[in-house]
Amino acid sequence: MGGERLKIILSLTPPLLIIFTLFFGGIFYGFLQSLGYQPAIGKYEINFSAYYNVMFSERYAKLFWTGLGLNLWVSFASTFLAAVFALFGALAIRKTFFAKTICNFIYSLNLPMPHLVVAVGIIFVFSQSGLLARFASQIGLIGSPGDFPVLVKDKYGLGIILAYIWKEAAFFFIILMSVLQSLGENFEELAQSLGANRWQRFRYVILPLVMPNLFSASIIVFAFSFGAYEVPALLGVIYPQMLPVMAFEFFLNPDLNARSEGMALSIIIAIIVMILVVFYFWLTQAKIRKD
Amino acid sequence: MSKLNIKNLIKSFPSMDRPAVNNVNLDIESGELVAFLGPSGCGKTTILKMITGLFQPDSGDIILDEQSLLKIPTEKRGVVMVFQNYLLFPYMNVNENVGFALKMKGVDKNIIDQKVKEMLELVKLPDIGLRKPKQLSGGQQQRVALARALISNPRILLLDEPLSNLDAHLRDEMRDLIVTIQQKLKVTTIFVTHDQEEAVLLADKIALIFDGELQNFTSPKNYYEKPKNIKAAKFFGGVNFINAKKHNDNLSTNIGTIHYKGENYTDLNEDNIITIRPENIKLSKNNDFNNNSFKGLIKSVIFSGTHTRYKIIVNDLELECSLQSVGLQDIKTDDTIYVHLPSDKIWAMNE
Repeated sequence: MGGERLKIILSLTPPLLIIFTLFFGGIFYGFLQSLGYQPAIGKYEINFSAYYNVMFSERYAKLFWTGLGLNLWVSFASTFLAAVFALFGALAIRKTFFAKTICNFIYSLNLPMPHLVVAVGIIFVFSQSGLLARFASQIGLIGSPGDFPVLVKDKYGLGIILAYIWKEAAFFFIILMSVLQSLGENFEELAQSLGANRWQRFRYVILPLVMPNLFSASIIVFAFSFGAYEVPALLGVIYPQMLPVMAFEFFLNPDLNARSEGMALSIIIAIIVMILVVFYFWLTQAKIRKD
Repeated sequence: MSKLNIKNLIKSFPSMDRPAVNNVNLDIESGELVAFLGPSGCGKTTILKMITGLFQPDSGDIILDEQSLLKIPTEKRGVVMVFQNYLLFPYMNVNENVGFALKMKGVDKNIIDQKVKEMLELVKLPDIGLRKPKQLSGGQQQRVALARALISNPRILLLDEPLSNLDAHLRDEMRDLIVTIQQKLKVTTIFVTHDQEEAVLLADKIALIFDGELQNFTSPKNYYEKPKNIKAAKFFGGVNFINAKKHNDNLSTNIGTIHYKGENYTDLNEDNIITIRPENIKLSKNNDFNNNSFKGLIKSVIFSGTHTRYKIIVNDLELECSLQSVGLQDIKTDDTIYVHLPSDKIWAMNE
């Protein structure tokens, strides 16, 4: 019995050591830095002043709260719209038809694309010097490319939202297609024979059936878009700035004291995402208990 | 109470080298309980789906109470289908599942609640309204599915393999329930099955379908006593077939002349086939019979409890006979025996 236990402990030790050292070790050290502990520059005091500075100081408070607002808006809007596009795309092409394979391929194509490439693609297509602007100008819809609405590097994060929709819709699509295909059409056919029209079949049958998977995928996409740096860095404006970009700029600051603020901001981002994930698990567990 | 006429119905699928449904004609009377019987892939569910409107036929018509259904969308046909695997909505409780059709029609919630209660009482499950489908047994799920289908007073009720997912005990219970409810509500009902026994026990009439073609549409009794062709006879357990020719109001075969009393004699072709069920053949060690009696040799004897099965060779022809084991004569393999084919139990067919 004792030998068995020792065997289990010994076999678990190497992976646990790696996880604790690399992951929790990094987080712990980052957390310490956010509390002002930076031995490299002779700071050993532990306090919450970096958190206070980021959230409430005259210098950073406005940046932080508008950045948080933009973060929430971009993440909610892009997650919701990507899910909606993917859902309608999956519903449109789930049935067998002659071009289904091609449509499937096109829809899933941008899944392996790096976010950076997608962001550059958005600039090429949607910026005021991009393809759409030039085309609209060529066909006389607008006077010059400069008249094209500002969709990239705009204060509402539209370019960022477009990039995330473009990229994440493929992720939602893959998940939804597998769910819809495993469900088949029997539930809808049944609902139809029970008198449900097209809208009712969508509202009362398809949506509730795909919702658990859609919700799980949404949490992943939301958490990613809330904490990702490269797309907002490329497609965002200086003010308002999304929180991950703001955090990175703290790190780039030649004044090493600013690193504590950067770490505090990163920890805040992680805590917000964690709260949402915990809320999600609480919701699903409550539903399981109710069932 | 609705009358259904199916006229020259044809449906093909690109993946099949023959039509899935080939020129099917059926007239189903109001309040009848009809079985579509046939092996898997014979087209019976395809017909059901065309009646609901989930498939469109290539040609032909489906007429319900003198009105063609083809232009009417599924949700407005009043034809409700109960699927083989019940398909209760997993995210709804039993009450919500049963009330679904009325909710889709925008019926007042109080009326829905009242009707749901009535339906659950009808299927003898009055106290499970708040349960989720996964908390129900297979039999309970089937009953809830039935209640959900019946709540909107369908003009036609379609049941796709309604008993196939149930164990033997539940099957008997469910079968009785379906018959009771169908007789009470008088709803014209069609069910699909590949189980011959199920069709015989439940249906007023059976439509036998092979390879998309309707073989016969008649009462269960006729399938045993007066099958239309060899395929129908074999599907219902027929094993004895004798090639015959018309001869002086009787039938001539290679085991001798057979006296025939069937009312279809004039409709028979010159060359035809005689069939007789194993349980209708009589055996005797002495020749006790006046006609249709032939000398044969017992090839094998198989005791199967209540009945004993004999294989007899008569002039190179093998016949099978099944007799009740109780009070049986002592007949053994290689015994010489007289085989009697009672003229009122013989049936001759063209195909």
